[in-house]
Amino acid sequence: MSEPGVYDLIIIGSGAAGYGAAIYAGRYLMKPVVIRGKFGGETATAGQIWNYPGVPGADGYELMKAMEKQALDSEATQVDGKVVSAKRDDGGCYTITVETPKGEQLEYQANTLIFAQGAERRRLGLPNEDELTGKGVHYCVTCDGPVYGGKEIAIVGGGDASVKGIIDLAKYVSKIYFIVRSDKLRAEPINIEEMEKLGNQVEILYETKVEAINGESKLESVTLSKEYNGSKDLKVDGLFVEIGADPQVAVAESIGVELDENGYIRVNNLMETNISGAFAAGDTVNAFGAFKQTITAAATGAVAATSAYNYRRTKGNLCEVHWRVPSDVEGKPAES
Amino acid sequence: MDEDKKVIIYSTPTCMYCKMAKEFFDEKGVSYEDINVAEDEAARNLMIEKTGQMGVPVINVGEEYIVGFDQEKLSSLLGV
Repeated sequence: MSEPGVYDLIIIGSGAAGYGAAIYAGRYLMKPVVIRGKFGGETATAGQIWNYPGVPGADGYELMKAMEKQALDSEATQVDGKVVSAKRDDGGCYTITVETPKGEQLEYQANTLIFAQGAERRRLGLPNEDELTGKGVHYCVTCDGPVYGGKEIAIVGGGDASVKGIIDLAKYVSKIYFIVRSDKLRAEPINIEEMEKLGNQVEILYETKVEAINGESKLESVTLSKEYNGSKDLKVDGLFVEIGADPQVAVAESIGVELDENGYIRVNNLMETNISGAFAAGDTVNAFGAFKQTITAAATGAVAATSAYNYRRTKGNLCEVHWRVPSDVEGKPAES
Repeated sequence: MDEDKKVIIYSTPTCMYCKMAKEFFDEKGVSYEDINVAEDEAARNLMIEKTGQMGVPVINVGEEYIVGFDQEKLSSLLGV
């Protein structure tokens, strides 16, 4: 675990963006600390990854373990925990307070900061969703899909994650009802083609929404917005929700970082936010529209780290905490 | 470390939280039995009966069943 104290760069997030940034920061001989929240981000739960260069068919979790190792080998350090507060003083110093799994509160300081907290899976927002979570309602196909061996399940979605989820689930379940709100799919054509090979194991219900989830101690059925085979009640053993994700921006917002109209952190093409010394990367930023991939996360992380490095080279003396510790930053104030 | 408590993890091969839990046990020197509920239907039914949960991992430590990878709770139960 990283000791609390002063670092050159704080990276909040431990997915492809966070580790991408940490690897580059290490190459720049910066001293970064990664705040490791949900390890591996979306990539770690994505199952097999076929579109990240150089490692076709890699397991997402293993890919993230390799990125983590590469970051740590590049002299990054990390701490497990969640950020409970972020502050920026007038001198440009950031203080991030992290609560560890043991409940300790640790303070980390730096004059550059990268937000790479990714996105949190969206929920349906239905009344008894919390009660039935894990009891028939699930948000991680690769985790819980194999538990449904031989059962009939439904999956809500329409994008690439849901189609990939179906391809995974088909190895275990007997029948999949694919509930799609619009009249078309938004997945990669190669994945749609793969799903179509499953034939009538998959039934696609277009222009249909889930209006209710029913069951007491476990999920028994879902209520659809329109009839399927003469009924709005669809009996299923499990329901997997793959309806996208919301960017995690609360910490960034707390120090005044601007968001775009869709709730993503607004960055320029150098991954700079509106706040001096604060950068952002990965699924949390408004770069590349809705195209959120492991490759874009890693790439924006690399760009953010490069910008943080350049910032420190030109403005590294802004943060007073660095006056008190040895630094190789050009332009540091003379020791007094 | 409390070595009297038997540890069983009900897992699936592709579940990242299961992998994280097993890495945690390895790191802390905790021995455990790993049951793949994707294949073992009887164990799957036992897991559901004990917890009402169909999500993994479910971790059995002594008399307690923990749903999910709750590092803090595991540390406290196992004294690691």
